[in-house]
Amino acid sequence: MVTFIVRRLIATVFLLIVVSMITFAVFFLIPRLAGQNSYQLATQYVGRNPTRPAVLAIEQKLGLNEPIYVQYGRFLRGLIFGEHYNSGTSSNYCPPPCFGYSFRNQQPVWPLMVSSMPVTISLAAGAAIIWLTGGVAIGVVSALRRGTFFDRFSMGLALAGVSLPIFFTGLISLALFSYKWPIFPNVTYVGITSNPLLWARNLVLPWITLAFLYAALYARLTRAGMLETMSEDYIRTARAKGLPERTVIVRHGLRAALTPIVTIFGMDLGALLGGAVITEHTFSLQGLGQFTILAIDNQDLPEILGVTMLAAFFIIIANLVVDVLYAVVDPRVRH
Amino acid sequence: MGLAAFGTVAALTLAACSSSSSSGGGAGAPTTTSGFNSAVTGIVNPSNKKSNGTVSFGLSSTPDSTDPGNTYYAFMWNFTRLYTMPLMTFKSCPGACGLQVVPDLATGPGVVSNNGLTWTYHIQPNVHFEDGTLVTSADVKYAIERTFDRSLYPLGPAYYTFLLGGNAKTYPGPYKDRAKNLMGLTAIQTPNPTTIVFTLAAPFADFNYVAAIPQSSPVPPAKDTGANYQLHPVSVGPYMFQSYQLNKQLTLVPNPHWSAATDPNAKQLVGKITVTMNMNANDIDSRLLAGVLSVDAAGTGVQAAARARILSSTSLKAQSDNPISGFLWFAYINTKVAPLNNVNCRKAILYAANHTNYQTAYGGPYAGGAIATTVAPPNVIGHKNFDIYGFLSHKNGDPTAAKAALTACGHPSGFTTGIAYRSDRPKEVAAATALQAALNTVGIKTTLHGYPAGTYYGNFAGVPKYTDQHGIGIAFGGWAPDWPDGYGFFYYISDGAAISPAGNTNISQLNDPLVNRLLTQFGTQTNAAVRNGYTAQIDMQIMKDAAILPGVYAKSLLYRNPNLTNVFVQPYYGMYNYSTLGLK
Repeated sequence: MVTFIVRRLIATVFLLIVVSMITFAVFFLIPRLAGQNSYQLATQYVGRNPTRPAVLAIEQKLGLNEPIYVQYGRFLRGLIFGEHYNSGTSSNYCPPPCFGYSFRNQQPVWPLMVSSMPVTISLAAGAAIIWLTGGVAIGVVSALRRGTFFDRFSMGLALAGVSLPIFFTGLISLALFSYKWPIFPNVTYVGITSNPLLWARNLVLPWITLAFLYAALYARLTRAGMLETMSEDYIRTARAKGLPERTVIVRHGLRAALTPIVTIFGMDLGALLGGAVITEHTFSLQGLGQFTILAIDNQDLPEILGVTMLAAFFIIIANLVVDVLYAVVDPRVRH
Repeated sequence: MGLAAFGTVAALTLAACSSSSSSGGGAGAPTTTSGFNSAVTGIVNPSNKKSNGTVSFGLSSTPDSTDPGNTYYAFMWNFTRLYTMPLMTFKSCPGACGLQVVPDLATGPGVVSNNGLTWTYHIQPNVHFEDGTLVTSADVKYAIERTFDRSLYPLGPAYYTFLLGGNAKTYPGPYKDRAKNLMGLTAIQTPNPTTIVFTLAAPFADFNYVAAIPQSSPVPPAKDTGANYQLHPVSVGPYMFQSYQLNKQLTLVPNPHWSAATDPNAKQLVGKITVTMNMNANDIDSRLLAGVLSVDAAGTGVQAAARARILSSTSLKAQSDNPISGFLWFAYINTKVAPLNNVNCRKAILYAANHTNYQTAYGGPYAGGAIATTVAPPNVIGHKNFDIYGFLSHKNGDPTAAKAALTACGHPSGFTTGIAYRSDRPKEVAAATALQAALNTVGIKTTLHGYPAGTYYGNFAGVPKYTDQHGIGIAFGGWAPDWPDGYGFFYYISDGAAISPAGNTNISQLNDPLVNRLLTQFGTQTNAAVRNGYTAQIDMQIMKDAAILPGVYAKSLLYRNPNLTNVFVQPYYGMYNYSTLGLK
């Protein structure tokens, strides 16, 4: 198992380097191939009606006039060893992984991303707990009570959940429970350490909105998995051995049905940690999703590069965790 | 050198105000309690009542910078008045009164020498920073010096580099070789702690306007933190930074060392001011209407959903204002790309355009604006109304006149050209499509070229070589002046000297000797009445040249939170004045 994890971690590093190279090429190389020179690239960071000296100063400061491999090498060096930035009055050290310097904000990228992470982590983790427990529970009960009113109702609801986009359910929930009946007024992120109750209260609507979409998907997946598993021969054997029904369902049925759920959960959670873009935007939460939108709006390449790599990192790590969990959930994997 | 930030710096308003002697939030200006447009013409809920409450701003974007030396956004120039005091400012009052440039940190307007080359300001002797330190003229000099380091502060205007003499063209700012360059800008002298003297390279009559830009607000050299100064600028205004999470949340609290006596254009009435940034624009509107949020900081008006609600409700409409923002939405016509290098071909475009569809594309009369017949909006000082192409009498276009113009230019059956626009701006996309359809009716075939807004001026429409090579004859744009006179409005979009190889804003590449000469005279003429007389002449000449197709004088629908006091539209910004707001 240890060898497996180490091997995967090495692959993770390799994969991140490839992601960084592709992203770097997309944003730094392709504009040049399209005919833009470094002066034109610098122009977009110099505000309105730039003077030539201003553009040249930015071009030099950002090193845009250097060969691409030099720029990429500098980026990698900052990622591994950190970098010093001149703020004018002092030299500031940005510890690894520095992710470069934001053209637009005149600040290192990594601290900016770190400040956005608590929002996204709070949002993703809370929603994940709701959708995983809710979705799996509904899926199991629906499968066991196949054809009943509960099954039909919950699957109908699940279909609605999968069909309705977050920007719709989010706006409806805000309109009803924040604006019209201010049960959750002024949804704003408050740090969990500064006020845990307010933190939870302000995240209830985003959690439920986000979880509604995913829970619906998980309920349908669980139901399908359970139906298939419960008709397997070994379930009949377990029952024939006289095992209690609870044990049959949970230890034999659900455990096997969970394998695909764990896979997709890892992917979903990993992707969300990289920024729940639509949910954050709908509820004006300033997490990594909003950070990403802003970075794209501003064409702030180091920020875009940073958030892309972070999202890739989360997904890769989530997959690693999933693979490890496989071994726990499904004994066949261990062998 | 007048420069405006399209999409950012706004100005002016149409509404005339009877008051011309108000100060301190417009005492003497008409006052009212509510009603549609009441904050355009008067002050709604005037009050000096102090409150411990919070005025909360919501912002769907982020500031370009909170550093007064590095900002060019209109709402930030408005907002910085809460923590800065430039030498000059715009009088805090609604209507035409608010277009006046008045002393702020200075004791009076600049005194110009006979040769027009030196401007002397005396600053108030008893203004303090938030830490209690006395403000001196050296702090003003340093504030301007630091803006010369364009690698650290690339976003603010560069007027001082252009205008000042001495070593201004080569001065690197106070950070490089600090021992040598700190206070090393020779064109600014501070003979004593309350006097500052600017030496210009050439006479420039609008210098008081330049001194009203936040860049002249003092910065204490010892407290300057360079690129990090944006996180906590040292305040001299009524409020100071308590905390700032970059691009997320800003909290201001009262500055204990501020005095109303030295800053009559601002007020300190509430216990806290917050700005939540990067919010969903529709969420901002909903919170405004629910009373949870006090002000939409961007000041560009509500979104379509809220607009429909407001305009269909008598009570909500009474809580709204529809000022002219100061922007002109328009299309440049490239005078260098054949066949548009022939003035008659350009005129054909002006005649053929459908102005009603143009207006609709930008959001209609409330959110889009009024059909423009001139280049300068009506509230630029010296503006005169004229309509030489009959836009208002032929709102859907004048095909007959267009075809006559086409015949005169030697292309009776039309020609082909390209239209550039910002593809991520839906209104501009709609306007480009509408113009394409209108031109098609007279045989002018166009191809649409959409570009990202972020690189529009830097890499595409603002690069003459690119537009000429790609046959782009028409390019959409927007414009508002940095100060509300003709020079401020016209220089960058119409002077031949303003054409630059990248980031160009004279996309028409207009190089008309008459326009150039009038702008040169504008810059040197110290008699304001004569100077402002040039405005209509320049405007008329640009229209005769058919170098610009005016679209709409932009308007925005603002919602006024009923709990706010001292609410009025500051005409120079085209949005509510943020420096005087209080709570009931």
